[in-house]
Order: sequence, then C-alpha cells, then structure tokens
Amino acid sequence: MDLLPSAEQQQIIDTIKDFLVNEASVDRLREFSAIGNPDFELWPQLGELGFLGLGLPEDKGGVGLSAGEEMLVFQQFGYHLLSPAIFGIVLGARIAASAGEVELRDELLSGTMRVGLANSRGLAGGPRDYHLFEADEADVILLIEESNAALYPRDAFEQIARVNATDAVLVLERATLSNAARPRAEVPVKVDNVHARALMLMGAYAVGIGEGARDLAIEYAKVREQFGKPIGFFQAIKHMCADMAIRSEAALCQASFASLVIDEGSPDTNFHAVASKIVACETAIKNAADCVQVHGAFGFTAEANVHHYLKRAHVADLIWGSLREQRERILTFPTPA
Amino acid sequence: MDLKFSVEDQQFREEARDWLNANVFKERRPHGGEAMRQYDLAWQRCQYEGGWAGVSWPKEYGGMGLGLTRQLIWYEEYARANAPDNHLCFVGLNHGGPTIIAHGSEQQKKEHLRPILAGDKIWCQGFSEPNAGSDLAALKTRAVIEGDELVVTGSKIWTSHGHLSDMQELLVRTDPDAPKHKGISWVIFDMKTPGLELRPIEIMTAPNHTHFVQCFYDEARVPLKNVVGKVNDGWSVAMSTLGFERGTAQIKDQIRYAFLVEEMIERARERYGDAFVKNDEFGARLAQLRADMAAARAMTYMVVSRAQHNVSPAMASLMRAMVGEVQQRVRRLAFDIIGADGLENPEDDDWVYFYLRTYSTTIAAGTSQIQRNIIGERVLGLPRSR
Repeated sequence: MDLLPSAEQQQIIDTIKDFLVNEASVDRLREFSAIGNPDFELWPQLGELGFLGLGLPEDKGGVGLSAGEEMLVFQQFGYHLLSPAIFGIVLGARIAASAGEVELRDELLSGTMRVGLANSRGLAGGPRDYHLFEADEADVILLIEESNAALYPRDAFEQIARVNATDAVLVLERATLSNAARPRAEVPVKVDNVHARALMLMGAYAVGIGEGARDLAIEYAKVREQFGKPIGFFQAIKHMCADMAIRSEAALCQASFASLVIDEGSPDTNFHAVASKIVACETAIKNAADCVQVHGAFGFTAEANVHHYLKRAHVADLIWGSLREQRERILTFPTPA
Repeated sequence: MDLKFSVEDQQFREEARDWLNANVFKERRPHGGEAMRQYDLAWQRCQYEGGWAGVSWPKEYGGMGLGLTRQLIWYEEYARANAPDNHLCFVGLNHGGPTIIAHGSEQQKKEHLRPILAGDKIWCQGFSEPNAGSDLAALKTRAVIEGDELVVTGSKIWTSHGHLSDMQELLVRTDPDAPKHKGISWVIFDMKTPGLELRPIEIMTAPNHTHFVQCFYDEARVPLKNVVGKVNDGWSVAMSTLGFERGTAQIKDQIRYAFLVEEMIERARERYGDAFVKNDEFGARLAQLRADMAAARAMTYMVVSRAQHNVSPAMASLMRAMVGEVQQRVRRLAFDIIGADGLENPEDDDWVYFYLRTYSTTIAAGTSQIQRNIIGERVLGLPRSR
C-alpha cells in the first residue's frame, strides 16, 4: 500500500506540469476572456506526448497505464483550468476503443478532433435538454449517463442556441437531443464503467482547481502587505489558507484512493468515485471562495485570475451531477469494504 | 500509487483478525472510576499475554516492532473487531513509553517499560498548567535540585485520569533564568509521592463524570535519576512525545467513525424511513459525512505512505485537523438524529455522552487553531505569528 506517486508517476506529473506551465498558464484566460479559450490548439501536442490515451491498453491504441496516472494528469489539467473539452477527448477515445471504432479512436487520440460535452440541464430543463460545452465546432459530443456512455454527432442535437456562459472562457449552448439521434459510438456500463471513471476524473480535475486557488491565495498572502506586514502573518488569513490546504489534502487523498479502486475493478468503484467528486467539488468551490476573500477587493475584479477558479469550480460541480445529486446517490450504495 | 497489501501482510491481517475475534472483551467499557481502570488494565494484559501489545514498540523492549503498514492493518482490524479503547493506557503506550525508549537510561527502561506494556501501570500526562495551555513552553511548575533530588512545587491541569494513574510524565522548569524553551526538564513522577494533591474536575458529559484532575505539588521530592534525557533539555524530549501522539494509534478512530456513520444511516432509516435519508436535510449531512469519512481514511493511508518515504512529517497535521472536526460533525448528527431522545441522558446510552465528548477533539493535544498555525507556518511557509 502506498498512496504516493511512484518515481515513474512523478516523472509523468513533472512532464505534464512543465508542458502546462509553458503552454497553458492561467494568464491565457485573461487574454481570451471575451472569445473563449485557445486550448484546442494544445490537443495535438498532448496527443503526441501520449497524454490522451494514458489509461487505454496498448492493444487499443493507448499507453497502457492505469486510472492512477490518468487521475494525476487530470489533477494538473484542473490546476491550469484546461478546457473541460479534454474530458471529451480522453473519455471519447475510451468509448470509441471499447465500441471497436478504431478509426474514430485513433483520430481522437491524435488530438486533431474537436470534442464537446453534453451535460443534462437536470431540473432546469426537460429530460432531453442539455448544455453543450465547447461544442460549437465539435466533430463529436460526449454524453455520459449512469447506464452508458456515447459519442454523438453534433447534428444529433436540435434547437441549439448559444448562451452567455458564467464561466465566460467556455463556449456554452443549450440544445435538445433529437428523438432520432444515433450515437457514433456507444458503450454500456457493463462493458466499461465510463461513468465512474468520469466522476473520478472530474474529482481529480476539481482537486487541481482547489489547489490552484489555494496556491494563488498563499502566494498573495506572502506578498500583499498591510499594517506593515504580509497579510499571511495574521491568523485570520493564515487560518483560511490552512483550511484550504486541509480541504485540498482530503480531496487529493480520496481522488488517489478512488483511482486505485477503479483499477482493481472493486465493487466499491461507484462509491469511491462519487465520494471523490463530492469532496473535491466542495473543496474547489470553498477554496475559490476563500481565495476571493484573501485577495480583498482585487479578488472581486476581472483583472485577478481568482474568478476563473470560482467559475470553473462550479462547472466541475455541475457536470455529471452536482453535489446535491451526488449526495443523494452516495446514500444508495452499500457499506464499502 | 498502490492499494495492494503483500501476501505476508494479508496473512498478518488474518492472524490479527482471528486473535481479536477470539479475545476482544464483550462487556461494555465502564465510563469511569476504578472499574474503568481495571477494565483497561485487564484488556492491556490480555493483549500482552497474547503477544499483541506494543505494536509500534521495538522488539527489544517487548513490543511487536511492526512497520507502519502492519500497524495500519492492526488498527484497522482492531476497529473492525470493535475492540475496546483502553484510553487509560494511551499515555503510557504512546507518550511515556516511547519517550523512555528514545531518551531514557538503561535503568529507566528496565524499570518502567514492561509495566506499561503488560498492563500493570497507568501513566498520565503533566504538561498543561493553568497559565500554560497552547503556550506550553510558558510552564512555571518549578523543580529545584537539592542533592540527588528534585523538589517540585506548582500545579498541572487537564490531567486526564490523573486520579486513576500510577505514574506521570511531568514537565518542570529547572532553570527559570534560561529562555523559556531551554529551562525545562522531563521527569518520571510517581503519583504516590508525598506533597501531591489532586482536585478532580468534572466534565460536561454528565454530573459526576470526572475525567481530569488538577495536580498540586507542594515540595514533592523526586529522585534526580527520574529525569529523562538531560536536565533542561525537556522541551525537545517533550516534542518527540507529542510526535508519537500524532502517530498510528488514531487510525482506529477513523475506522470506528466510518462504522458509526453507517450505523447512523441505518438508525435513521429504521426510525424515520427511507424518505428521511433520501430527502431530508439529514440525508445531505449523512451523505457528506460518508464521503468525508472515505477521504479521512484515504488521508490516513497518505500519512502512512509519507512516513514510509520520510517526507513532510508536518503534513500529518492536515489529517489531524480534518479528522477532529469530522468526528464532531458525526457525533452532532448522531445527536440530531435521535431527536428529542437527546434531551435524556441515561447512564447506559452512549449517543449523548459521546456527542458531548467530541467537543474535546478540537482542543486536546493542540487546539485546531494551533494546528492551523502549524499548517500555515510549517506546511505553507507563511510568516510566523509569534
């Protein structure tokens, strides 16, 4: 038993960190805040580096590593607020692979396809009403439900209407899944529990968001001075930072645990994936909110990067079922081992 | 990252489980008094005779000398078997004993270690004072060296089970002129020493529940050879004991609390039906606790993992701060679930008692505020507040 990354895993973390620091600093969102984000330009490079097929077996075109490595990489994706379209590519490739759609799979793994996410509007819409994320130029759109996971062509959706996104660096549309919609690839939960993997990876992504907000707040608390001292000297601020660190630790540990449980194919897979999403989304939202407060009036502006973490934390929470829905669900599982 | 335990470790788990299932005391642990003392000593003796005492103690001192993974397994099985908490033996097993092992003389080891392990002697702590709590190094209890004796005068407070204890780990000021961390000594104190008086302190759980005592020392004489480590070096000796306290023994609490949440879900279902668990505010709280308990266990695994790689010991305070607060939320919810029954506090029901008990989890052994100072300064690198 060892929850720390191995030397090989640490190498993967260092590689993706390096890449994202250079290619996807969070400052990029400031520049693009009015017109979406440029992240799709990164997909071919990520494909070349192998990050898109990390958890797929080699005979299915992937790198042959485990859910653990995927978790560690999605944590970094969240830390850099990478477009959630990345879920569409990585999970889409898994669906295509499981469905035996080799051509589609390889195209996805190369990073040359645009993939959007469809997410149920829940009680805010009808049973076939979705939000589409990053789907305006999408070749395929990922739709994951408890029972199965699928990739749809964009024209499977009707009444598509662009709306202003709260997280303004994302392209958001409303749409209705047509009755005649046919997926390009589909895999039932019995064959591959993509739903649990998606929740676990969204948990990892939210861990990253929470850590990003934590680090931004701590950095600011060390340099911003009032009353002649860095504000991090004062316990009111110091203890807020400590709270962020405590939450982030809980979220990271549970995400690590959940990823390993998925690899074991344990009957507790769903329980730990849901627990991970709950703890991590709660962490991401609270850390982002505390990060605003630590920054004072500056935290309330569009000039600071803080608001991007808060808004993305809410996106992570609402995709594939919010805290409210996940809490309802976790009570339906038997006692885990 | 890896969740698997080796074949040998799994074998060890089965042995531990078998022994615990066959030997765990079935009678309920008394909440206080001599009966509780006898119960705790008997259970410790039972573990000793069975060869399962002192999991973290080195073999040469009679312990099991287990590595961290096996300690984790032991405590997981201990909790699963619903083995009793022998709180009275805690200080001896987790503070006093390990401190003597690390810093004691051969004579001190010979005299004091076996009685702790074998369930013969109860140890208590004499650290906090009326004016030295979070600021422990401000302690004033004075010890003057006279020949081959220390003459102790002053007062200690919040000494858990002091009235039921045989020995005390006592921090005294041996050099009042040195800077506050430099003039302290760590002393083995016999609770039968003339000059010691105890004042019991009732705790909030129910009338007549004595948990703490205040100790008054009036020229109590202690042999100088009872100083552990060097005279005036007691602060660093004490810090190493506090380190042990943050060790593996609390693993069993995490597991216990996870079970408790499951029990609460069942109790809530039985009492109020499935709709209560599903829709009510309680449902949301139960669900969040289920997720948080899973995370608390994962944090425990992480603490063990970090310790095995000898990295970032200060990060264990992240787990401590989280776990103390989650335990409070679990017990508060348990209290809320029983509704108006919570207004009654019968002797034979634990739910109210343990709810009130958890108010100590964010105070004892370093308040959550002190924990947050440690996290802010030692983990996050923020400037020191003091």
